[in-house]
Amino acid sequence: MKSRLFQPKLVGFAVLALYMVLAVWVHLHVSDSSMTRTVTIRLAHWQNEVGPAAGLNAVIARYEELNPHVRVKQMVVPPSVYRQWLRTNFVGDNAADIVEYGAWLQGMSDIPVRYFAPITGELQEPNPYNRGTALEGVPWLKTFTDELLEQRMNSPEPGQYYAVTLARGSFRLFSNRQLLREVTGSDQAPTTLIELRAVAERLAAYSRARHRPVALFAGSKETATLLMGMYLMGTTSRMVPELDRDGLLSLYAPHVLGGYLQEKWDFQRPALLAGLTLLREFSEQMKPGFQQLSRDEAMREFLQGDALFIFAQTGTAMTLYEQAPFRVDALRAPQPTKDDPVVGPFILGPFADGNDMTSFGFYLNKRSPLKAEAIDFMRFLASQEGNALFSAKSGWPPSIRGVPMSPEIAAFVSPADGYMLGISYFSGGGNSRDLLARNLYRLTGPQGSPAKLATALDEQMPAAARADLAALTRDAWLAALPQDARIAAVGGLVRAQPEQPAHLLAREQLEAAQNQSEARALMLVRQLQLTDKAHELAAGPLSSGGGTIADSPGRSVRTCIRVPLRSAH
Amino acid sequence: MISRPLTKLYPTLIVLAGVTCTPAVASASSELAAVWNFVADSQPAEARVALLLVESIDSRDQTLADVIVALTRLPITGKRLRELDLALTGLSAGSNDISAQALYLRARLHQVHSVPPNHARAGELYRELAKRHPASHWAQLGLVKLGLISLYALPEPADAAGRIAGVAALLDALTEPALRRDLQMQIGWAGLFYDRPLDEVLPYLIAAEKEGGLFGLIPEDLVLQIGELSLRAGHVEQARSYFERFLREYPVSLRRYNVEQRLLELVRRMKIEGGS
Repeated sequence: MKSRLFQPKLVGFAVLALYMVLAVWVHLHVSDSSMTRTVTIRLAHWQNEVGPAAGLNAVIARYEELNPHVRVKQMVVPPSVYRQWLRTNFVGDNAADIVEYGAWLQGMSDIPVRYFAPITGELQEPNPYNRGTALEGVPWLKTFTDELLEQRMNSPEPGQYYAVTLARGSFRLFSNRQLLREVTGSDQAPTTLIELRAVAERLAAYSRARHRPVALFAGSKETATLLMGMYLMGTTSRMVPELDRDGLLSLYAPHVLGGYLQEKWDFQRPALLAGLTLLREFSEQMKPGFQQLSRDEAMREFLQGDALFIFAQTGTAMTLYEQAPFRVDALRAPQPTKDDPVVGPFILGPFADGNDMTSFGFYLNKRSPLKAEAIDFMRFLASQEGNALFSAKSGWPPSIRGVPMSPEIAAFVSPADGYMLGISYFSGGGNSRDLLARNLYRLTGPQGSPAKLATALDEQMPAAARADLAALTRDAWLAALPQDARIAAVGGLVRAQPEQPAHLLAREQLEAAQNQSEARALMLVRQLQLTDKAHELAAGPLSSGGGTIADSPGRSVRTCIRVPLRSAH
Repeated sequence: MISRPLTKLYPTLIVLAGVTCTPAVASASSELAAVWNFVADSQPAEARVALLLVESIDSRDQTLADVIVALTRLPITGKRLRELDLALTGLSAGSNDISAQALYLRARLHQVHSVPPNHARAGELYRELAKRHPASHWAQLGLVKLGLISLYALPEPADAAGRIAGVAALLDALTEPALRRDLQMQIGWAGLFYDRPLDEVLPYLIAAEKEGGLFGLIPEDLVLQIGELSLRAGHVEQARSYFERFLREYPVSLRRYNVEQRLLELVRRMKIEGGS
């Protein structure tokens, strides 16, 4: 007789019940073990100079102490291969959980929306690692000194934040204190161009007396163009309101490039010729042939005591401090004054030699399997404690409010005491950026002069400006085109749930961002058309719908002189 | 006898089975929502896979989803473009939201995805959309796009004043505040681009700024821009009010020093004018 216990139906239910019980048991145990097993998150960046890696190691060590089940692996990738490395790893689904990225990296504008997760929600909440500090209860976003300005400027999706930043930076004239004292008899740093010229005269006398050439500036192509680019802009600041068509009190690339093509400015303008004259003065204070030298060689010149100053970004300061056998001071850029004999008539006032914008931004990999752990580490990294550790060990000024700074690090922060003029005449894009460096030899040496350089620049600028405007147009379309599918998809979500506020907000943000990029692209194309009707625009959305427009009265256009250009991308 | 306790377990077992089997019985609409979410999140590969997994979907939904997923693979070849246009033409025949969206997407294909773009045809389609589906969001968005190509790309009207006036007339039919704001802002900026008188430009920028809800650096730019352009146009009090607002609302702006100097200059000028 068959027992009722073995009836097939009952056996089936028993098996199902056992399965369910086991499933619940496994689920609970897996959850428990995940709290205790050690996981490793990876963080990648390209800052291979002295300082940042040590700063991050200090943060990591403390974080691992607080979170014993998490290990953080720092990956420093050489800057020369970083872009390719990043893209390859994202495509291969093997990217680090947290990565450094910058909106200025060429050919990478598709990366953020494809591979990074927005952290806007997290930034609206207080950072738990700020408990017990003055920032307790403050939304994370508000704890950054600039409230993540760079993200507001460059976010691929306006309104969304994708990164947290760790530091600030500026430009400084690093000085050999001992040598300055020997030359001038005091530690007093020059604060104006007039005072700087006086130091240069004394240095020349010092060199002659000792039969030992000592340059005012350590020279290299990179340090020279950095110095000259900043001073050329700063000493021609009266031109900015003229070129600022849109009333933004600062110049953006289309104003500089478009303004040039519309003959609103050229290098023969008295202000620019005066600026170039100043640059010639600077070039005479560098070792002959400096254009052929690298930044490392300039640093060596400074570290060996063969140059009194080196102009550099503050990110390199730790290298100088660690390697110099003398005391290094970080000086503010000596400012032009209105009584300056060369550039005085052309300035509005002091110019900014840095800004308070935070940088060294870290992004969260959208596909990270350890997103929760990664965001938790990012919170610590950009907390008061984490940022203080980073700043102290790296020598980079902190990005978080209230983090104490040593006087050496505080010297890298530029207060808002000078005009922020926007992009320089050579910063509109890759093509115009090369012009100064490529033609610098026309300014220097016995054969060089400001007029020769200005003439060469005016020959080459039209084609460079056009190529850069075309590149800006392509960038604007690259931002606008992928949004069509996204807007259409959000439309599908809105159709299914018309009252869902998140969908409505997403739709509004995407549409606003696309309208903005699209209008910019169309405007740039029109600008190119108006300045050269014969110019052949790139195919696709870069070209216009045709037709001629008899508007924009009174605008003349420059002839396009073709010169070999490097690729815009 | 032993079956009784098991019978009592039926409700629990059914709930547990339901929980574990939810994905298998998910509705087509939630599967479609997954496709939309992947596309909206810039995950085209995942969207394509999710679309393949959708079962028992309405044919119009399926066609639209196919087109939208195809739009994630840029650039689109000429042959594919014609196929998509044909599919959207079929969809746009009705009178519901999908029809309006299909017509909108047809216009987009002509305006930005075809090489060379056909702005004239896109303009016609945006107008047809506004006529056939005036209350639809897609028609409203289409009016903004029509405005943008009219400002910069369409050949007519030839003069900048006529061009701007024509686009300003579109505002009468544009009722969604955020889109209205976007077009007003673009009219203002186009006015600056075409060197139109500042008193013609400023009302558009002021209206866009007043609507608010903008993102990124634009809110800061607009307040500063209105202040500076007001000053240039001789509206000194208005300029002062916007400059002061800028300093109050954007304490971490990089242009703070510039605005402070401009405000000092303005106050000096007001004193001189008041004195004289």
